[in-house]
Amino acid sequence: MAIHTVDSMLLAVLSNRLDAIVREMGNVLVRGARSSVVTSHDFSCSINSAAAELLASADGLPGHICGSHLKAQSMKEIHADLLEGDAFLHNDPYLGNTHAADHSILVPVFVDGEHLFTVSVMAHQADCGNSLPTTYMPFATDVYNEGALIFPCVRVQRDYQDVPDIIRMCKKRIRVPDVWYGDYQAMVGGARIGERRLKQLVARYGIDTIRSFISSWLDYSERMMVDAIRKLPAGRIEAHGVHDPLPGFDDGIPIKVQVTVDPQAGRVEIDLRDNIDCLAMGLNQSEACSFGNALIGLFNVIGGEVPHNAGSFRRVTVHLRDNCIVGRPQHPFSCSMATTNIGDRLANQVQSAFADIGEGIGLAEAGIGMGASASVVSGADFRRNGAPYQNQILFLNNGGPGGPWADGWTNFGVPVVAGQLMRDSVEVNELKYPIVFFENRLLEDSAGAGRRRGAPAGRVTYGPRRDPMQVMYPTDGAVNPPRGVRGGSSGMRPHAYHRSQGGEDVLLPNNASVTVLPGEKIIGIGCGGAGYGDPRTREVERVLADVREGVVSREAAMSVYGVVVSGASEDGTLRVDEAATARLRVPSGARPLA
Amino acid sequence: MGYRIGVDTGGTFTDVVVTAPDGRLVQGKASTTPDNVANGVLAAIGAAGERIGMSVRELLGQTDYIVYGTTHATNAIVEAKTARTALLVTAGHPDVLTFREGTKSNPFDFKTEYPAPYVPRSLTLEVEERVDAEGGVLVPLDEARLERVIDQIETLRVDAVAVCLLWAMVNPAHERRIGERLRQRLPQIAVSLSHEVAPTIREYRRASTTAIDASIKRLMQAHFEDLRTNLAPQGFGGDLLIATSMGGVMRAQDVAERPVVTVRSGPSMAPVAGRAYAAELGETNAIVCDTGGTTFEVSVLRDGRITSTRETWLGHRDTGHVVAVSSVDTRSIGAGGGSIAWIDAGGMLRVGPESAGAVPGPACYGRGGKQPTVTDAAALLGYLRPEHFLGGKMSLDLDAARAVVAPLAAALGNSVEAAAHAILSVAHFNMVSAIEDITVREGLDPRESILIAGGGAGGIAAAHIAASLGCRRVLVPPTAGALSAAGTQLCDIVLEFSSSAFANLARFDFDGVNTALGALEAQAEHAKARLRSRGLENFDVALFVEARYAHQVWELETPLPVRSFTGPEDVARLAEAFHLTHERVYGFSDGSQVIECPYWKLRLSALITKPSISLASESRTGTASHVPAHFGPLGWLDVPLVRDPGPEFADLAGPAIIAEPYTTIVVPPAWTARRTSNGAYVLEAA
Repeated sequence: MAIHTVDSMLLAVLSNRLDAIVREMGNVLVRGARSSVVTSHDFSCSINSAAAELLASADGLPGHICGSHLKAQSMKEIHADLLEGDAFLHNDPYLGNTHAADHSILVPVFVDGEHLFTVSVMAHQADCGNSLPTTYMPFATDVYNEGALIFPCVRVQRDYQDVPDIIRMCKKRIRVPDVWYGDYQAMVGGARIGERRLKQLVARYGIDTIRSFISSWLDYSERMMVDAIRKLPAGRIEAHGVHDPLPGFDDGIPIKVQVTVDPQAGRVEIDLRDNIDCLAMGLNQSEACSFGNALIGLFNVIGGEVPHNAGSFRRVTVHLRDNCIVGRPQHPFSCSMATTNIGDRLANQVQSAFADIGEGIGLAEAGIGMGASASVVSGADFRRNGAPYQNQILFLNNGGPGGPWADGWTNFGVPVVAGQLMRDSVEVNELKYPIVFFENRLLEDSAGAGRRRGAPAGRVTYGPRRDPMQVMYPTDGAVNPPRGVRGGSSGMRPHAYHRSQGGEDVLLPNNASVTVLPGEKIIGIGCGGAGYGDPRTREVERVLADVREGVVSREAAMSVYGVVVSGASEDGTLRVDEAATARLRVPSGARPLA
Repeated sequence: MGYRIGVDTGGTFTDVVVTAPDGRLVQGKASTTPDNVANGVLAAIGAAGERIGMSVRELLGQTDYIVYGTTHATNAIVEAKTARTALLVTAGHPDVLTFREGTKSNPFDFKTEYPAPYVPRSLTLEVEERVDAEGGVLVPLDEARLERVIDQIETLRVDAVAVCLLWAMVNPAHERRIGERLRQRLPQIAVSLSHEVAPTIREYRRASTTAIDASIKRLMQAHFEDLRTNLAPQGFGGDLLIATSMGGVMRAQDVAERPVVTVRSGPSMAPVAGRAYAAELGETNAIVCDTGGTTFEVSVLRDGRITSTRETWLGHRDTGHVVAVSSVDTRSIGAGGGSIAWIDAGGMLRVGPESAGAVPGPACYGRGGKQPTVTDAAALLGYLRPEHFLGGKMSLDLDAARAVVAPLAAALGNSVEAAAHAILSVAHFNMVSAIEDITVREGLDPRESILIAGGGAGGIAAAHIAASLGCRRVLVPPTAGALSAAGTQLCDIVLEFSSSAFANLARFDFDGVNTALGALEAQAEHAKARLRSRGLENFDVALFVEARYAHQVWELETPLPVRSFTGPEDVARLAEAFHLTHERVYGFSDGSQVIECPYWKLRLSALITKPSISLASESRTGTASHVPAHFGPLGWLDVPLVRDPGPEFADLAGPAIIAEPYTTIVVPPAWTARRTSNGAYVLEAA
């Protein structure tokens, strides 16, 4: 299609420019932040138009960005008196934020007195004032029981100065107040850099050019989306899944996703309305998460080239219902865990549903559940005069999903994170907290098998040095692990143990809160990613490499992949026994001779 | 004093800059010869010798030293042609190189494979031992099991071993003991210990750096030896010095002990040259660009110092390998003359990251290139002259350039010229982004800097890039075509020492820190004595601390305001210096926060007498003519073309083109070019 040259060039220049601004915002945040959750990249920045259309969100967490325009919308609706120099603190899951632990700073950007953009910096906090020392409250019966301070888009700066009342409230009710305030300053710093750069951009190109760029950019993104959808076959798929049981919800939580692809019209519909109502626990999805997590599954299938913004979103309809567990939550149902668990299930179900449409499409399911390798730890540090510490450790030991092209990625974390978080350093964690990490390794045969296998899961073992430590984490997948597609198999189920001083292991529940004494250990085993396609069609060289590198055992190579390996890795004699392999890998339907 | 020779061996060309005894610089260039690098080096020295009127033998016979910059280490790593290397780690942590530090840049990309670790798991062995964060021994080194591990290493038939234990930089006793046993039992194997190679926190970075170091040790030793062996019969009896990533030089035998310091050996020299040329104009802030065929490299001078980093990625951040030793901060993007232009599914014009490379190269090279590149766009607009390209040694096929740009122009619904301008604009914008990455994101305002343009095509884009950044002036050095080689003639011997001594400014450990600083000074004195014996007398010592606010996990390099701490006022000065640095880099500081200082560093420079930077006053006649060139909305114009101008160069108002043997400069409308007494060009907006 022919488009005007100047448009084409300006599109490239200005869209890259917006991404560069978003990255610079993130850079200011990450370098200035205090909590390791933020510095591990559990944050996202975005630029919205004044009309609350998402324009750019480079490098953001998929679970954060797809619904971030809802916050910008709420700012406009609530505050008729927006002024230059304002900043708003927003963590209200009933008003477009993800969950209470993600604080957002919103800044309206004015040029010559006119509101042109809204920038957003959102970051997961080390603490948000919950009733327990964790940012994840699976058992919260409602928002009051959850306990977090909720800020429904509250003005936190006027004329570029803090509103001290709000800061004082936070410092009184948030554990580790200095860490919170440091992160807050870094977030405001990031938003203000975004504001300054956008003003410079408008000054340079002129307001009319920028306006026409915004509409061209969204149109371009829509065209990219149409092009991607046209490459998919038509179809309607219904996918069912079940989140693991929780106390009081013994059968688990069923989730149903209906996906309709209309390549001719270039449209995709995702219907989440046929699901149960909100429940009296913390796993309800917020609207931002219901919308965003469903879109993750779709974008995972479509690939990385289509911009995720209001333009590409035009081609997708996500049908939501009020007071639905995967819809629009009703106050005071708690959304404490909206960013993970059911959200991860949503993304997994959408991407794996596509695999049912045809070969070469969709993905297997990814590892799920944060588990003990991403627990919130707290206690007192004997090396710092007993100063309290609290933070989430991040060893993202879940495997990514196999797909049509590549094996799963290690360090995937969970679907809403999709490998975007930085993994902690053992040494940095030991420097900052009085903990020892005894072990951190990948496990053989933990990956779901397939023509393209999932990534293996890891095991981390840790304990406190001198004083007791509180360890809290939620997880999922122990009962219903991530599923393989097109003949691929499930990933290993995650689990964890509490090891006594005497070396006795006690299996921990899916959602644990334990006090670990000196000499005791927590052993956290992650969740393997699931596989894509029949493992017996996997290239023998790949299977051999997996055996050599300790990802797949010889037994599994034979029984699951149909590849017989002989010799030893140590002396370089490891080989595929081709004759024996050929006998095992007979075409399906035929039967090997005895 | 005799001659000095600087060599920069790149992937395609080997550049040489010779400093004559009277201080003049002479350039030479030849194709790189990967099979035996010395041949290309000798050919390039020969080319320079020809211009002086000397044979290679005569020139080398009168040469005091050669400074050698090379991408040999980087190439070996990127092409996986390094030694078979084993990694020894603390028991329980064998996957440190597989885990990396996480982060996948595009969450929706499921086509890229997860990167293989630098050392495979099958060559990674666990040693029973453990040290804690304060250096205390939690688990003593199990000597009996160590011997069995060394047995295993023998069976694995590796050529190198890297040892990286948790907290070895705080308490290196276990690593030292392992090193001792390895050298006793397997003396033929190269050994690298993490606390010696990269004494820094974060196990992945230390392990990666140590593994890379071990894997290139023998290779680099052999490489330097080969070069010396090939140069000696040609009469060379001087010192062989190696350009390091830090932008200094070291003796070849010293570098061979820690070869990981050469991974940025070539590019690190461009800002060294840039610094000398900037100083000539009285500028201390500069952005130094080097445009090649496939990459665009950028580095920065701030207050007269070249900025450095402790994080250098070989390859892409997601999938490459990290080197965590101090290095000149150079950022590289895949944007050069060979970058290919294309239109995506949404109708947007894109340039790169795919490149036509050296073969087939741009269509206008006439070697079968079929896709439109940046060079094709520049050629068809008249900026690159077929008759003068590469000093007249290569011609350009303008029809081929038009032919490959035409389909793109049709898709954009515009003229071939407009499409070519669009290609250049998008390519320039990619370069601007790379520059912003290393300037605005690090707290440096490009508008306070001068832009220094290196590379054969650097002068085409320079004025446009400067305008986008708001830079006041552009400088194109006379050695623009061989900027890194020129840098090797202008650098000092630079050594860095570091020490970890944890200090909290709220309760400052005067003894601990002063002891650490004293140890650094002692190391520096020792090094100075060695350097004095080689006739070096002038030294510069600078102290730094890596500091952070409590709870931050990344440190910031801050120059120390004092050499040692005598009282609270010294601590206060350090706090002030840190707040200022934090404010500059991240836009805010927080006087109420506690500052922590885990690392202290000393940088010792032995100052070498520099040549003057003027180019040899060759007898250049200079020709002036008029040629057609296309300038955006002005269309085709008949513009002055000045070729190889002599010393009497009159100020030139744009639009105009200047063709030097190894560099082309476009002076856009409303810009003027003047020439400095040293033969550099300065472009300024009217």
